[in-house]
Amino acid sequence: MTITENNIKQPIGEYIQNWARKHSLFVLAYGTGCGAIEIPPTMTSRYDAERFGIRGAATPRQADVLLITGYLATKSLKRVIRVYEQMQDPKYVIAFGSCTINGGMYYDSYNTINALDRYIPVDVYINGCMPRPEAVISGFVELQKQIASGNAYNATKYKENLEWYRENQKKIIKNWRMPDYNW
Amino acid sequence: MEKETTLYIGPQHPGITGNMMVKLKVTGDTISSASTHVGYLHRAFEKLIERRNWLQSFTILCRFCVPEPDPMELTYARAVEEIEGREVPERAEYIRTIVMELARIQSFMLWYGGQSGSSGLYLVGQWSVGDRNYILDLFEDLTGGRVYHMYIWPGGVRRDLPEGWKDKALKTMDYLEKRLDEYDKLMFDSTIFQKRAQGVGIIPKDKAIEWGVVGAPLRGTGIKHDVRIDEPYCAYDKLNFIVPTQEGGDVWARALVRRQEIRQSISIIRQALDKMPAGEFYNKIPNPMKWSIPAGSAWVKTESVRGEVGFYVESDGSNKPRRVHVKGAAYTHGVTVLEKILVGQNIADVSFILNSLGVCPPEIER
Amino acid sequence: MDNLQIENNILETIKTAFKVEGKVVREKRVEITAHKQLISSILLFAKNQHNYIHLNHITCVDWIEDGEFEINYIIWSPTTKNTLIIKTRISRENAQMENIDNIWDQANTYEREMREMYGIEFPGLIGEHEFILEDWDEMPPMRRDFDTLEYATKTFYQRPGREDAKDVREELTKQSGEEIPEFAKKYSREK
Repeated sequence: MTITENNIKQPIGEYIQNWARKHSLFVLAYGTGCGAIEIPPTMTSRYDAERFGIRGAATPRQADVLLITGYLATKSLKRVIRVYEQMQDPKYVIAFGSCTINGGMYYDSYNTINALDRYIPVDVYINGCMPRPEAVISGFVELQKQIASGNAYNATKYKENLEWYRENQKKIIKNWRMPDYNW
Repeated sequence: MEKETTLYIGPQHPGITGNMMVKLKVTGDTISSASTHVGYLHRAFEKLIERRNWLQSFTILCRFCVPEPDPMELTYARAVEEIEGREVPERAEYIRTIVMELARIQSFMLWYGGQSGSSGLYLVGQWSVGDRNYILDLFEDLTGGRVYHMYIWPGGVRRDLPEGWKDKALKTMDYLEKRLDEYDKLMFDSTIFQKRAQGVGIIPKDKAIEWGVVGAPLRGTGIKHDVRIDEPYCAYDKLNFIVPTQEGGDVWARALVRRQEIRQSISIIRQALDKMPAGEFYNKIPNPMKWSIPAGSAWVKTESVRGEVGFYVESDGSNKPRRVHVKGAAYTHGVTVLEKILVGQNIADVSFILNSLGVCPPEIER
Repeated sequence: MDNLQIENNILETIKTAFKVEGKVVREKRVEITAHKQLISSILLFAKNQHNYIHLNHITCVDWIEDGEFEINYIIWSPTTKNTLIIKTRISRENAQMENIDNIWDQANTYEREMREMYGIEFPGLIGEHEFILEDWDEMPPMRRDFDTLEYATKTFYQRPGREDAKDVREELTKQSGEEIPEFAKKYSREK
């Protein structure tokens, strides 16, 4: 049995699964950059992201969404990769700000990466420096749409193309002392 | 004899104030030694500023400390003015004072959330961070940005107060003053907070200045030191305010100092809005692309929420700064002071103490 | 001048004790230039005799043209609320400076940062070599001959699209054929 919504055909089991997933997005509490300053307003009374099912999670293993709130220093990138690989499926990445897209104002810095999707897969990019809470919420809604339509498969892409990602990651992280995960 | 283990708090930890790591050696629940590890946010600001011209640096400067960007702009602007000898109109001085105090209040509101959240009182954060949006609205009307403003420039401010802004600001202040009493009931009257805060994270009074403690943590030990009084800048010498101090030097004393300071800030904003003269708000600078500053150096200090912010600016006479070196309060608070006062404390108090010192990692590594 | 009396007194005392150059910059700022071997004794003298017990800042400026690093020690006294800036210059080759973290503990942090960012050695400095950077094997990045843009282009993937970030006003006038107004010409980047 299939179900059709917004011109997308899905088996009913998958439809229910995606519907449930999109309404409970647990965000990992990891402020990787300056964009993290707009997360408390997004989560509290005025913008109240919890009405979309968005709330915090303390550890990577319980979280669904990893927010990369801005530029990533190379030292941070190593930890972010580790955190991302610890997270359990389904998992999504939302990247904030111009600096994750093309380096933004830090394009000439020796310590920040310029294009995040070369190192971990990104589901939604939110532009701006820094994105307002409204923009953050609209980014989350975009992610929910992708989940509902069954298109948020970037975590699978990461596993399939792990070698390409590893090659890029190891180009920057010179001293690779990290455990390998066998998902 | 219990076994000593190593424990890492951060960089991914809900209690840490930003992207940093504290490495602890613990015996049971008690910390026997601590060391701070930073560098997760290093963006090479000071290197990038060497490649930008004097005015372009402002976009980078305000990102030095995310919760409170305005003191950074002001300090840099004052350093440039000091080297160049540029005058600032009186109206601009008053507007700068108001911006600084608004920045102080919004940062305090965030601190309310962090400090109470790390002791389990999550409701305070819901209220205060929600109310903080009213101040960000004022900033948005005045400067166009919620978080980063780039509003204070050498020679004045970027634009005048918009129409009706004064009334809106006064109304917001009235509202906040009412709300502050309610936060008190939730936070300072709460037995949980009192028991968690009293006697925790003590900074000794006789060592405080030598250790490099500044700002509210220093005033929490009973020493009255505030850059706004010692070396008045902006319009602070024309306004009436007191610098609150508390004895004890623990988290509780620091919290009480901040509680009183936020009320002083509201009073300063009211006075400044009242006394503000009419006139120019900006002293025109030449074409920023070719604007060169005569050779020289300046060391300028400003009081921010976490303590004093110092800028060492060196010019070699060209259109780009030779060196801009920032010393934020967190540079000492977050490393040596934290490492000292964490010894003997409980693991559960680490994020509590971090919040009370106002450690802001981007200020340490820049 | 009356109001600069404290500043002048401090300057005179240090001048007579150490025979160094110095000046009063402005109210509450005294600046002294000294040889690098005198630094720790001046700091100790100021700390013990004149109550400059607060170490505000240590900063380093790279004067690559002169082949020298300038190190500035900024200390503050809570009694007179005065700031004393002590400047010294050291050679850029095999840069070495005295370690002062036995006078102030927090100097350790500054010195670790300078060791990492400028490559200045402090004999006897205890602490991990890595403070901010991780696995860095180029030259110390804050030295002025380190080209950060070149390193970033070489190391990180540059997404296409940045290279056409030109002066918008001039691009538009080229496309539409309009004249640039007279007042705007003086701000042109293409001169």
